[in-house]
Amino acid sequence: MSSPPIWRLVPGQGLVHRCHDGECVLFNDLTGDTHLLGQDVLDVLGLLREMPQAAAQMATALGADPQSDPGAGASILAELDELLADLAALSLVEAEAAVGAEVEAMPC
Amino acid sequence: MRSLPPLPLLLRALREPGAMAGFGERDWDLLLRQALASNLAATLGLLAEEQGVLAELPARVRRRLGWARTVWERHLKAVDFELVQIRRALRDTGLPLILLKGTAYAAAGLPAAAGRLFSDIDLLVPKERLPEVESALMLHGWAGTHHDAYDQRYYREWMHELPPLQHMRRASVIDVHHAILPETAALRPDPARLRAAARPVPGRDGYAMLAPCDMVLHSAVHLFSEGEYHHGLRDLFDLHRLLCHFGSDPGFWAALPVRARELELARPLCYALRYCMRLLGTAVPAGVIEAARGGLPNPALLALMDALFLRALQPSHPSCADAFDGAARAALYIRGNWLRMPPLMLSRHLFHKAFLSPKAEPAR
Amino acid sequence: MLTLASLGPRELRARLRGPGLRLQTGPFVTCVHSPLASLADSLGAMYAEYPVLEEGTLADFHVRLSGSTGLRRLLRPQVHFHYDGMAPFQPLPLGQAFPMFEWAMNWCVSSQAHSWLVIHAAVVEKGGLAAILPAPPGSGKSTLCAALVNRGWRLLSDELTLVRPGDGRVDPLPRPVSLKNASIGIIRDYAPAAAFTRPVADTVKGTVAHMRASSESVARAGEAAAPAWIVFPKWQAGAPAALTPVPQARAHIRLAENAFNYSLLGEAGFHAVGRLVETARTFDFTYGVLDDAIAVFEQLLAERA
Repeated sequence: MSSPPIWRLVPGQGLVHRCHDGECVLFNDLTGDTHLLGQDVLDVLGLLREMPQAAAQMATALGADPQSDPGAGASILAELDELLADLAALSLVEAEAAVGAEVEAMPC
Repeated sequence: MRSLPPLPLLLRALREPGAMAGFGERDWDLLLRQALASNLAATLGLLAEEQGVLAELPARVRRRLGWARTVWERHLKAVDFELVQIRRALRDTGLPLILLKGTAYAAAGLPAAAGRLFSDIDLLVPKERLPEVESALMLHGWAGTHHDAYDQRYYREWMHELPPLQHMRRASVIDVHHAILPETAALRPDPARLRAAARPVPGRDGYAMLAPCDMVLHSAVHLFSEGEYHHGLRDLFDLHRLLCHFGSDPGFWAALPVRARELELARPLCYALRYCMRLLGTAVPAGVIEAARGGLPNPALLALMDALFLRALQPSHPSCADAFDGAARAALYIRGNWLRMPPLMLSRHLFHKAFLSPKAEPAR
Repeated sequence: MLTLASLGPRELRARLRGPGLRLQTGPFVTCVHSPLASLADSLGAMYAEYPVLEEGTLADFHVRLSGSTGLRRLLRPQVHFHYDGMAPFQPLPLGQAFPMFEWAMNWCVSSQAHSWLVIHAAVVEKGGLAAILPAPPGSGKSTLCAALVNRGWRLLSDELTLVRPGDGRVDPLPRPVSLKNASIGIIRDYAPAAAFTRPVADTVKGTVAHMRASSESVARAGEAAAPAWIVFPKWQAGAPAALTPVPQARAHIRLAENAFNYSLLGEAGFHAVGRLVETARTFDFTYGVLDDAIAVFEQLLAERA
């Protein structure tokens, strides 16, 4: 049975951004795209910049407590999974492959 | 052979970049236009910088060259990203992905990459693996083009590549080749030999490029067998830079004519050396010229080719044209049997939708 | 300094037909070639006070507007635009030569002048402060711009706002203001002293006319300005003039969408727009009556004093 993926920023991603009043614009310096994101999304990306981690870990760091409120915890996790999938489609994050993976070389 | 008019400014600048410091405003007005028309503006700026003369050029010139350089720098970033995506798409094939031409120069950071733009990413893979490569790319968002049955046959059966694949979201284009010349061509350099000699691109995991001799020969064949003569001078300058770069290794010069014969590309090499020397002053060791002489055609044909090429390889700008030019270019076009659109900076925006309708194929 | 008017019509035509007329607009020098008498007349009227430079001066752009040849000339004559040997656009009817010239000049700058962030927007200045008016076609930006410059605001540009990535200031590019359809009559009434070209009908955008830029705006073409406001205008019949603040991040995206070379400039473009929306106040603006609109801008200016 596979374990949940460990997420990380796409190597080389600089997270160039500007935030104001809870809304942010982010420049993806790898693709050249600019995105309009909520501050909460920037927080998620910030967590991954510090350390690659699984969604569950991120949920806890963001304040979700599965112990005290399992229902809320589960739904936060589901939202996070969906968000991470969206961010992966934007080439901002990627799932480190499971055991046996090669590490992608840094783009020059 | 008909004598040439004095060398156009652009050729002088390419032969001796340091001389740009001495050009006056009137010279620059013309030189910039020649450079833009030949797609060499960004290159000129970088050459000037390399020679330490950029600061001495008039401010308006530096500004103009800077615009072209900005485009090039953006292009490189886009290429970096595309290469990562392509690698991801083709990882499971286990194939070394051999890059060709401008893509290879950019990926490997060769001097020939400086200022050089290109519209497609060029890959070389074994012919029998084409279907697998095509499916993998399509799975990752690249779509086929040229759906017309004739076009499909043209590319697949007659040329040496898949019809160009264009990414549905990013619009980047990949040309997947299985050989460097069409099946129908008279010259048939064996792609297996080229692939066998390929070497990894430093720092680009999973990517390879042709060996130095093969890179030079491919460039020569690309220029002298195909019809893109509005790129003529740029492609010749590619050759010049490749020869200068690899030529610092004496082993390269010894191997070049030998490899040319092995791949049956002696004639394109002969033309390449001849026109590089004449137009760009490339330093080619005498022994190599001798060894390559075997590739020369008979004198009558050589005279004709001289006349055609030396005109076609001039900067593609009205200031360098003479009455003979149209015929020269047309003759070479027919010979090359290849059609590409001239490079053009069209802004994709708001204006021409409103007022001006872009032509599908800009006329000259 | 030599101006176009000082050449006189004969010399003007001679240069256009021969070595080219080297015309300075804002930071750019354009070498114009054309055998068309109508274009010479329009240039004489609309660019009288602009500097012209000597032959051999380095030009940034080389443009040619020529007529049809052969039988075409007699039937439905056209004007062709060539950019240094290339013909990037379809020809237009000969009567549209001057509008085509203006659009071609815009194209030259918007597709190549990458030392600036080039925004599709009008920009005007008063009291040293610039208001940038980005807007997709049809929002009434040009009408508003034409009104403002006839009520004491200096024209920096009606189509192309040049923002320096280095310090965020706007470099002027004052050129004739283009107006269409009903706006032509409206501005004529609003500014009876302003000079216009004869309206040209049946263009892709309807009837088009150009209003000459004021002498002052041309004279001060070298004077950059600091952006203080970014106003997204929208004309709506009967609407009271109203400003609605736009959140910064959203203003960033909307500005980027209106900039020709935002993506090309990469991170520098991102920061140029980022700085703009941080230092300038950003608004949506609806209005129905020009005088009301002017009053709002005056109020914005007063608040800064």
